[in-house]
Amino acid sequence: MSVIGTSVRRADGDDKVRGAAVYGMDYTEPGALTARVLRSPVPAARIRRLDVTAAAAMPGVRAVVTAADAPGRSGMFFALRDQTLFATDEIRYAGEPVAAVAADTAAQAEAAIAAIELDLETLDAVLDVETALDDGTRLIHPDWESYETLVPGPRRGNLAWEARTERGDVEQAFREAHLVVEDEYRSQRQHQNSIEPHAAVARYENGRYVVHTPTQFPFNVRGRVAQLLGVRPSDVRVVVPTIGGGFGGKLDAMLEPIACVLAQRAGRPVRLLNTRAEELRTCGPRENAVVRLRTAVAADGTILAQDGLIIADNGANSSGETVACANVAPLVLGGSYRIPNARYVSQVVYTNTPPTAAFRGVNAPYCVFAQEMHLDHIARELGVDRRELRMRNLLRAGEPMVNGQQLDDAYLVEAMQTVDRLRPWGELTAASRPLRGHAVVPLTWITNPGPGGAGVKLEEDGTVTVASAAAEIGSGAVATGIRQIVAEQLGVRFEDVNVSPTDTDAAAYDNGAQGSRTTFGMGNAALEAAGKVREQVLDVAAGLLEADPADLELVANAVRVAGVPDRQLDLATVAGTALMTRGPISATGAFVAPPIPFDAGCMTGALFTHFAAATYHAHLAEVEVDPDTGRVTVLRYAVAQDVGRAINPQMIEGQIHGGVVQGIGYALFEDLRLSDDGHVVDESLETYRLPTSLDVPPIDVAILENPCPYGPLGAKGAAEPSIIPVAAVIACAVADAIGTPIRQLPLTPFAVLRALREGRRSRDL
Amino acid sequence: MSYSFTLNGQTVEATTPGLTPLLTVLRDQHGLQGAKLGCGEGRCGSCTVLVDDQPVAACLFPVANVAGRAVRTVEGLAAPGAPLTPVQDALLDHGGVQCGACIPGVVMTLTALLESEPAVDAATAKEALTGNICRCTGYVKIVEAAVAASGRGDQA
Repeated sequence: MSVIGTSVRRADGDDKVRGAAVYGMDYTEPGALTARVLRSPVPAARIRRLDVTAAAAMPGVRAVVTAADAPGRSGMFFALRDQTLFATDEIRYAGEPVAAVAADTAAQAEAAIAAIELDLETLDAVLDVETALDDGTRLIHPDWESYETLVPGPRRGNLAWEARTERGDVEQAFREAHLVVEDEYRSQRQHQNSIEPHAAVARYENGRYVVHTPTQFPFNVRGRVAQLLGVRPSDVRVVVPTIGGGFGGKLDAMLEPIACVLAQRAGRPVRLLNTRAEELRTCGPRENAVVRLRTAVAADGTILAQDGLIIADNGANSSGETVACANVAPLVLGGSYRIPNARYVSQVVYTNTPPTAAFRGVNAPYCVFAQEMHLDHIARELGVDRRELRMRNLLRAGEPMVNGQQLDDAYLVEAMQTVDRLRPWGELTAASRPLRGHAVVPLTWITNPGPGGAGVKLEEDGTVTVASAAAEIGSGAVATGIRQIVAEQLGVRFEDVNVSPTDTDAAAYDNGAQGSRTTFGMGNAALEAAGKVREQVLDVAAGLLEADPADLELVANAVRVAGVPDRQLDLATVAGTALMTRGPISATGAFVAPPIPFDAGCMTGALFTHFAAATYHAHLAEVEVDPDTGRVTVLRYAVAQDVGRAINPQMIEGQIHGGVVQGIGYALFEDLRLSDDGHVVDESLETYRLPTSLDVPPIDVAILENPCPYGPLGAKGAAEPSIIPVAAVIACAVADAIGTPIRQLPLTPFAVLRALREGRRSRDL
Repeated sequence: MSYSFTLNGQTVEATTPGLTPLLTVLRDQHGLQGAKLGCGEGRCGSCTVLVDDQPVAACLFPVANVAGRAVRTVEGLAAPGAPLTPVQDALLDHGGVQCGACIPGVVMTLTALLESEPAVDAATAKEALTGNICRCTGYVKIVEAAVAASGRGDQA
């Protein structure tokens, strides 16, 4: 029986439910020192004097480091190298590292931090993303022109990056339009808030840095540590204990380079662990943004053209993914609907605020929120049913998205129809009543196309081991998916496939647990390696069984002659024989998504240019609004999601549930606020509210299988996208419930009461 | 000061200031790392342990308050190598575990619930879990697991 499509238990589950799994936050090493970081108390300042002499002489202090100890300049994905590990001459955000101490005890490290002499001359803080580009605004990076970039991109002054996508004749289409609609939307910062904070334990061994860290993307951390410290990537080894959640927040180097440089200076292991307050203050959240959309439509609702400006807050530097993902905004705005003429300008702007970073779905949730509220505006103006307007403009198979990429397998209509079977639109609309609302939203999304390599070997006992640097972020991609794919290919039990611990020294490059890529990318690499192992097994077994390899099959941990059950060998015998005849059975596999044709000429400043292994989705929400409190209750939710092929349906459902609930938090209450003087207001979970079990509506899930020709066994990415349409569909449903458009996230009770008041006022006029 | 209490059935002595959080004693003095320091402010519930069968946030609970009482942690549920408890087993059976950092706390909350409630339905389970933040699963499969484990408990 095939293991594909079955909901096997996760291989790491037993340890996790027993409390035996060792997470990054649990890990330490003998003799490890405790580290503390001195962080800037103000958002913008010139450093007049930084003196660590007194601190370094204090009891128990083994190392004190500053910018002088970490000379490199770097940036996330090496896209824009505007970040130093410690502030050099200038402070650019409240919480920026200035110095770090390693000491025998936490109390000694804290005392030493307090003894560091820091004299600052405060500067005018640039905090507003919308005025940061105005003439005369102080430049946050006066030396911006000297920074290295991965690819050329338009930028100037406080404009860290600009990505543009432009197709067709936008002006002409606007001139000929039946109707032009224009709107502006705003969204907040959302913090990943993994249960496990960032943690790093580093040692310096034989001239190399060895760092244990719960990162989603070990090879990125390796490269970023090396760049910040001014060494080679191979001078750094990253080992990954069990990861306690990430959601994008653990893609980038954070504490690792600080722990590494301290360990090297101290000659002892160094452990650095964030508090929850440090997490909220300094670890990059989803960026706040402003989205302006102007759309030209025909009388029947056909979209003729769209002009969009996306202004995203980069914070003080590009240590997060916001610059690298700038062109995701145009792609997602122009990926679900037919928009023949389009111009999208995606600007990433410096402010004196903590750097923003990747959070599941990167730049997409607020773009989709803006697009969908805007489409409802168009529907209202034209008197067209909201779902009908979407169905009319939905991209069909073979049609191009905004970058000219033809979506041969587009499945949006099927996704919308599936959701309609779960919660029929006509019935919901017929039953509509005041303060209850519903909405439906389609989505096309990416699977991260990045590279990965795997090794597969057959052990002497007939079990199989995969060598991989893929990180098990929690999704089950490594704990189930990769194992299921390899078990299927080699005809062994799921339990007989092991995967090596994640270690950059032990396996080939892997592009990290991001963009739903692990089952897809590492799955492909492992599948290829397992296929080569299979050939070697058949070759050895054919000799022993005196049969043609073509007549052999691998079933139940054995090789047998098809149709002759008693002529078979178990895999241990094959492995043992191979050792003495041809050497151990092992092979490697490698994968990167194949190129897809698109119109490269329509984009500038784009690091993401197209949607590899695109997936297709539809989400539907039903909500109720309490007119007295403004509280929104999500009554029911439905998701139809194309996963290519479902390797483990239960794990996929878990990803969908989890993404939807994170999306509900983003839609209704999660908001990492900044004060007027540039400090994070919500520095504890008391005011940064996370969804609890009582916030979760019944969620209907339909998994659609629309295979990808270059996915492993047809699989596409499945984990990331369920968060993306949630804020859009809930906001549209709330707007439907109260009869007033929503222009800003999150929809807190106060915001909803305000919208209700404004709605009443405008209707009274 | 010195405080005597039972920890997973064995009498132990903690010599430490009375306001030391129970979690610090468990992790640093007894090597029990199942309960996690997720937030340190009693909000996330990943440090949940049972004191006289009631869930408490060990990151805030002073060790002085456990003197003479019975503390149970996730390590005390199923002995190494022994079968999982119905709650632990159901969480895996229903796919209720992703990153798993909240799970030791969830397991303890649900263990206390199932010990005190003969039949747990979804609403009861959701109510009991409000003090345990899970950022991964959206709670759906954890709630399913709680209901299923309750059923299994009845049969046992």
